[in-house]
Amino acid sequence: MEPLSSYLVLSSVLMGIGIYGLVSKRNAIRLLFSVELIVNAANINFAAFARFSNPPIMSGVLIVFYSIAAAAMEAAVGLALILVAFRLNGTIDVRRLNRLKG
Amino acid sequence: MPDPIFLVLSAVVVVSAIAALEARELIYGAVGLAFSLIGVAGIFLLLGEEYLAMFQIAVYVGAVVVLIMFTIMLVRRDSGRPAEEEEPGRLGRAGAFVAGLIALAIAAAMYLVIPYSAEMPILSEISLHDLGRTLASGYALALVILGLLIGATAVGALTLAKIEPEEERGGAA
Repeated sequence: MEPLSSYLVLSSVLMGIGIYGLVSKRNAIRLLFSVELIVNAANINFAAFARFSNPPIMSGVLIVFYSIAAAAMEAAVGLALILVAFRLNGTIDVRRLNRLKG
Repeated sequence: MPDPIFLVLSAVVVVSAIAALEARELIYGAVGLAFSLIGVAGIFLLLGEEYLAMFQIAVYVGAVVVLIMFTIMLVRRDSGRPAEEEEPGRLGRAGAFVAGLIALAIAAAMYLVIPYSAEMPILSEISLHDLGRTLASGYALALVILGLLIGATAVGALTLAKIEPEEERGGAA
């Protein structure tokens, strides 16, 4: 059985990749990919902590259910926003979607 | 000695996550994201949470990635070459630096905070029966709120994506 720390290291690496994408990418869909990666890193953490405590924490597993459902909703709304932005501006490059910039 | 299955799954998750962000074609990136999410489902299996793995594949790979692929096809005209000209120089290096720093900080904090005694084996199983009972009794309110949230989100997404006739003519200018 793997120790808890290897799961945590995996999730922090995944979160690092997600943050790298959030900072450096310009395509809105790729930003959505990054958000999904970060959410998955958090889910791995929740699941690992829930299993490695003794007795296993039921709510740690349940929160992963809720988190997956919430992430699916977030993806739906995000993609709808991307579609609207594309229809209005003809681009999904977030560096050029700066009409609200002060 | 690390478990080889865990190593393979981690490699799949990390490599395909990088591929999702760095693939030239956006649609290949979506495929990479799908593989990464399947790898996470494998991690859940390894933790002994089969229902989470099933839910992950059904919702993420079955719904979210397919939704993303449809959106990529709808915005196809844009997501070709010009939008994909990432600047690999300043921004990419800054991003890698920030991400590495944060990942390192998190890993260090975890090593400091979590004692090595946390490496005990997983003892008891969480049965699907217990999970369902907990979900329906102690967390029933949260379940109802989640359902309402899903309904509201579906309505909101539909409202956002709907094409208004007058907006199509005048609003885009």
